[in-house]
Amino acid sequence: MFLLRWLWKNMKGDRAIYCVALCMTVICQAMHLIAPHITQEIIDTFLVGEEAAENLRTGTDRLVFLLCAMIGFTLLRCVIQYSSNMCYERASQGIIYRVRKVLFDNIESQDAQFYDSHRTGDVMTVVTGDLEMVRHSIAWIIKTTLECIVLYSATMVFFFTIDWLMALCMMVMTPFILLITKGFRRTVGPFYVTLREKLSEMNTRAEENISGNRVVKAFAREDTEEERFDVCNKAYNEANKKAAFTWLKFFPGLEITAQSLSVICVLFGGIFVAWGRLSFGEYAAFAGLVWTLSNPMRTLGNIVNDYQRFTASANKIIELYYSKPFITDREDADDVPGRLEGRVEFKDVSFGYGRTQVLHDINFTAEPGETVAIMGATGSGKTSLINLIPRLYDTTGGQVLVDGHDVRKMKLKQLRGGIGIATQDVLLYSDTIEGNISFGNIDLPEDEVEKYAKAADAHNFIMHTPDGYDTIIGERGVGLSGGQKQRISLARALAVKPSILILDDTTSAVDLETERNIQDALDNLDFPCTKIIIAQRITTTRRADKIIVLRDGTIAEMGTHEELIRQNGYYREVYDLQK
Amino acid sequence: MARNKFDIDEDLETPFNIRHLKRALTYAAKYKSRIFLSLFISVIASVTGLVSPLIVQYAVDHCFNREGIPMLIICAAGLLACIVISVFLSRTRSKMMTRVGQDIIYDIRRDLFHHMQELPFEYYDSRPHGKILVRVINYVNSVSDIMTNGIINFILETVNLLIIMIFMFFVCWQLALVVLCGLPVYGAIIMFIKNRQRKAWQKVSNKSSNLNAYLHESIVGVQISQVFTREEVNAGINDKLAKSYRGVWMKAVGYSNLVWPATDVVSITTRAAIYFVGLVFMPGISLGTILAMGDYSGRFWQPLMQLSNLMNTFINAVSYLERIFEMLDEPVTVKDKIGAKDMPPIKGDVHFRDVTFSYETGSTVLEHLNFDVKAGQSIALVGPTGAGKTTIVNLISRFYDLTGGKVLIDDNDISEVTLHSLRSQMGIMLQDSFIFSGTIMDNLLYGRLDATEEEVKEACRVVGIHDYICTLKDGYYTRVSERGAGLSQGQKQLIALARTILSDPKILVLDEATSSIDAKTERKLQNGLNHLLKGRTSFIIAHRLSTIRNCDRIMYVSDKGITESGTHDELIAKRGDYYKLYTAQAV
Repeated sequence: MFLLRWLWKNMKGDRAIYCVALCMTVICQAMHLIAPHITQEIIDTFLVGEEAAENLRTGTDRLVFLLCAMIGFTLLRCVIQYSSNMCYERASQGIIYRVRKVLFDNIESQDAQFYDSHRTGDVMTVVTGDLEMVRHSIAWIIKTTLECIVLYSATMVFFFTIDWLMALCMMVMTPFILLITKGFRRTVGPFYVTLREKLSEMNTRAEENISGNRVVKAFAREDTEEERFDVCNKAYNEANKKAAFTWLKFFPGLEITAQSLSVICVLFGGIFVAWGRLSFGEYAAFAGLVWTLSNPMRTLGNIVNDYQRFTASANKIIELYYSKPFITDREDADDVPGRLEGRVEFKDVSFGYGRTQVLHDINFTAEPGETVAIMGATGSGKTSLINLIPRLYDTTGGQVLVDGHDVRKMKLKQLRGGIGIATQDVLLYSDTIEGNISFGNIDLPEDEVEKYAKAADAHNFIMHTPDGYDTIIGERGVGLSGGQKQRISLARALAVKPSILILDDTTSAVDLETERNIQDALDNLDFPCTKIIIAQRITTTRRADKIIVLRDGTIAEMGTHEELIRQNGYYREVYDLQK
Repeated sequence: MARNKFDIDEDLETPFNIRHLKRALTYAAKYKSRIFLSLFISVIASVTGLVSPLIVQYAVDHCFNREGIPMLIICAAGLLACIVISVFLSRTRSKMMTRVGQDIIYDIRRDLFHHMQELPFEYYDSRPHGKILVRVINYVNSVSDIMTNGIINFILETVNLLIIMIFMFFVCWQLALVVLCGLPVYGAIIMFIKNRQRKAWQKVSNKSSNLNAYLHESIVGVQISQVFTREEVNAGINDKLAKSYRGVWMKAVGYSNLVWPATDVVSITTRAAIYFVGLVFMPGISLGTILAMGDYSGRFWQPLMQLSNLMNTFINAVSYLERIFEMLDEPVTVKDKIGAKDMPPIKGDVHFRDVTFSYETGSTVLEHLNFDVKAGQSIALVGPTGAGKTTIVNLISRFYDLTGGKVLIDDNDISEVTLHSLRSQMGIMLQDSFIFSGTIMDNLLYGRLDATEEEVKEACRVVGIHDYICTLKDGYYTRVSERGAGLSQGQKQLIALARTILSDPKILVLDEATSSIDAKTERKLQNGLNHLLKGRTSFIIAHRLSTIRNCDRIMYVSDKGITESGTHDELIAKRGDYYKLYTAQAV
C-alpha cells in the first residue's frame, strides 16, 4: 500500500488524466461485453431466424444500419481504448519524469558518505532499469488489474441473475486461484530481489571496465576482464532463469485451475440442463462467457509476477528517493549574502573517516587575501583538510569558520559559491573546453573564459586543439595530457571568481615554466582572494604568507618560508632536496 | 572521429535493412534444435487445444440429458486431460524458450563486451561513457523479449494465418476474396505507421542514451558539481533531457498504439463486408457458409493482430539492436595482424624509425621521429606539457597505430606481433592511476595474477606503501571503493606503481607516476626504484628534476620533436632548453 501511495503522490498533475483513463478502461470492458450482441442481432434477424429471408428482402436498410453500427461501435471502442492507452502512457511518463527529477536532485546532493557505499553502477541501475520497471507497472499492472476486476465482477453479477447455483459452481475455483497466487507471490519475491542485485553488479562491472579501459589495456588484462564480466553475465542469466522458472513452477496450477472452469461449465451445465434447471439458451450464455472468468484468473498470475518485480525495483528507487544527505543546510543556518571576505579559520579541528582519525587539533587562520601553502607526506591529511572548507565532510571535532561563521551554520550554496576549487583528481565533462571552464559560472562571457584560460596558462594549447574553445573533450578529459587537464581545472576554479581559492596539487603535472606563469597569474588576479594551496614544490610554497606542514594529521610546522628553513624540519629537508 | 557529448544525438550510420534481422537470427541459429523442438511442442499443444471444443460440442449434443450423465462425466474428464496435457506442454516450451532466450542475451552481451575490450582508446575518448554502458546493459536487455517469444510466435502466427486462409478458400472462395480485400488497406495503414514508428523509436533510444550519459557524468562528477554549486544548473539540464525523452516517447508510443485499433477496425469492417456481400449479392449462399466465413474472418485477423503487435515490439527492439550491432561493427583499429607472431621475450632495445603520428587527421603530433634506446637504459622524457611525451610512450605500447614509420623492439616491428604478447611484457603506469573497487590486494594482483603474497608485499615495500597498508583495519584485504575513494591521490599512485612493478616488465613506462607524491616519499621511493630499474629499459615522464636527473639519458621533447638528448651533465653544459628548465626549478 505504501508503494501505491508513493505512486499516487508522484502522479500529482496527471491524476485527473489517470482517473479518466481508468474510467475509459471500464467503459471499454463493458463495450467488449456488449459488442457480440450486435453481431448476434444480425445473425438472428437476417440469417437464422424464421423470417430471415423476409427480413432480408424488406429490411436491407436495417442490415446496412446494423453493419454500420457494428463498425461504428468498434471504431468508438478503439478510439476510447486508444485514448485511454495514451492517457496511461502520459500518466506513467509523468510519474517517471517527476521521480527522475527527484532522484537526480538527490544524486546531486548526496555527500561523500553516500558515494562511499553506492557505486556508480548501482545508482545507474536504479535510474535506468528500475525506473523502466516502474513505468511498465503503472502503464500495465494497474490497468490490467482493473480490467480483470471489472470483467470478473460484471460477469459474476450477470451469472447470478441467470442462476445462482450454476454461478456458485463457476465461482468454486476462485479461492484456489487466490491461494496459489499467494504462494507464488511469497516464493517469487526474493528471486526478483536477487535478479536486480545481479543486474546492478553487472552494471558496476561494465562501468568500471569502461572507466578503467586504459589500465586494462596497459596490463593486457582483457582476458581477465572478460572472465570477470562473464561471471556477472552468467549470474544475471541464471537469476533471470530462476525467476522465470519459479513462475513456470506455479504456472500449471494456475492455468489448469483457470481453464478447468470450462470443464465445470460443461459438467454442471450439462447436469443442470439434464435436470431441467437450466435451459439450453441459459447454458449457452454461461458457456459463451467462460473466458471472461478464466482470463482474469490466468492474468492474475502475470499481475502478481510483474508486481513482485515492480516491488523489487520500486524499493530501490524509494530508498534513493528518500535518502537524505547528512550534509545539508541547517534550518537555523546564518544568512551570509554577498561576496565572502575570504577569512578561513580552523579551531581545534579533528576529523576522521569512520574510526580512522585523519586530522587532530588543527588550528590556523588564513586572513583575506593571504596565501597559505600546505605541505606534507603522502597520506598526511592535506586533502582531507581542505575538503572541510567547502564542507564536503563535517568535522568530528572543533570548528571550521569562514568569515567567522561556522561552516555547518552556513548555507551550502553561499559557502560553496564563494569557493573555487581545483581538485587533485581532475574531472572534466564531455563538453566543449569553454563549457568546462565556465562550468561554475555559466554566464561567463567568452572573453572572460579566455582571460581565465590565459591565467591558467591554458590558452596556448587550447588554441592548438582542432576547434579551439569549442573542442569537445572526452569524459574525464581523456585525450588531454595530465598537465592540460590540470590547467583547465584551474581555469574552471578561477572562472567563478572565488573569495577562497583552493588548489589541491593542481600544478603537479605541469612543467616548471608553465608553473611559473601560473604563479605570476595567481599573484595578479583581478579579484580579492584567499588562496589555500597544497603543493610539493618549494617554488610554489616560498611565495606563501604562511606554510603549514602536516605530519600524521597534525600541524608539525607553521610559518613563512624563511622561518621554516631555519627550523631544520621537514620543510628544510624538502628544500634541500629540491635545491 | 567526431567527439560526442551528452546532448548530441548519435546519428545512425547504417539504414535499416534485413541484415540486422538476419544477424540477430545467427544468434538464434546456435539454438536451432531447441527452437525447433519447442516449435514442435507448440504445435502439439495447439492441436490438443483444438480437441477441446470438439469434446464440448459432443457433450452438448449428446450428453445433456439424464441418461447422458455418465458419458458427460467421461467427457469432462477427457476435457480436463486435454487441458492438463496442453498446459504441461506449454510449460515445457516456455522453459526451453526461456533458456534459449536468456542464453542468446548472454551471448550477445558476451560478444559485445569482448569487442569492447578490443576497441581502441579513441572509442572511449570520443563519447560519454554512459552511452557505452547503456548499450551493454540496458539495450541488450531490451531485445531479450523479441529473441525469445518473438521468434516462436512469429512462426506460429504465420502458420496459423496460412491454415485459416486455406480453410477460407476451401469454404467459399468469393467471400475469402472479400476478406483479402482488407489486406491492402491494412497493409497501407501499417506501412504508414511503421515508417514513422521506426524513426520515432530511434529517437527514443537516442534520447534515452543522452539522458543516461548525462546521468552517468553527473554521478561520477557529483563532488565537482557540489563545490561549484552547479546543482540547479545540472537539474535544469537533466530536466531538459528528461522532457525531450518524454516527448519522443509519447510520440513513438502514439504510433505503436495505433497498430492494434487499426487491426480491430479493419477486422470488423471485413466481417461486415462478408455479411453484406453474402446476404445481398449472393442469394443462393447457405447460412452455414456465411456463419463460418464470419467466424473465419475473425480468426484470420487474430494472427494478423498478433503479428502486428509482434512488429511493434520488433521495431522497438530493432532500434536498440541497431545500436548494439553498430557497436559490434565499430572497427578495431589497433589489432593483431593476420598471422602475427608472439613477441619473443623482450631484451629491451627500442628504436623509433621515422615515426609520424597524428590523433586526428590534420594535427600532426610527431613528425619523422628517430631515436634508439639500448636495452637496460633509463630514458627520461621532459618538456612542456602537450608536446607529445605521453604520445611517444603510448606508441611504444602500441596503444595507437602509427601514421608513418616504425617502432621496433629488439628488431621486431611491434605492429607485427600480437598485442597481448607485447603488452604483457611491458609495465605501463599511466597518468590516471585507476583503482578498481575491491580489496587493495585485488588491485595489486592486477599486475600479476599469480603473484604470491610475499611478492606483493615486497613490491609495496619497494614503493614504500607497505607500512601504510599495514595500518589499515584489514591490511591488504581492506576494501577500497570505486576509483579508490578513501585513499589519497599519492597513495593511489603508489599502489598503481606497486601493481606495475609486480608485473615484472622488461620495459617500464612511468608516465607522471610520482607527480602526487611528496618530495620526501619520492626520495625514498627513488632508491627502491633505482635498484628495480636495473636491467630494464625504462621510459620516465616527470617534471620533477630530482626524478629524472639520474636517468641514463634525458630527451627534451618540444613541439619540434626531440630537440636535446644526453645525460644530465651534458645537457646542462649545453645550456639549452633543458638547462632553462633545470634552473627554473632551482629554488
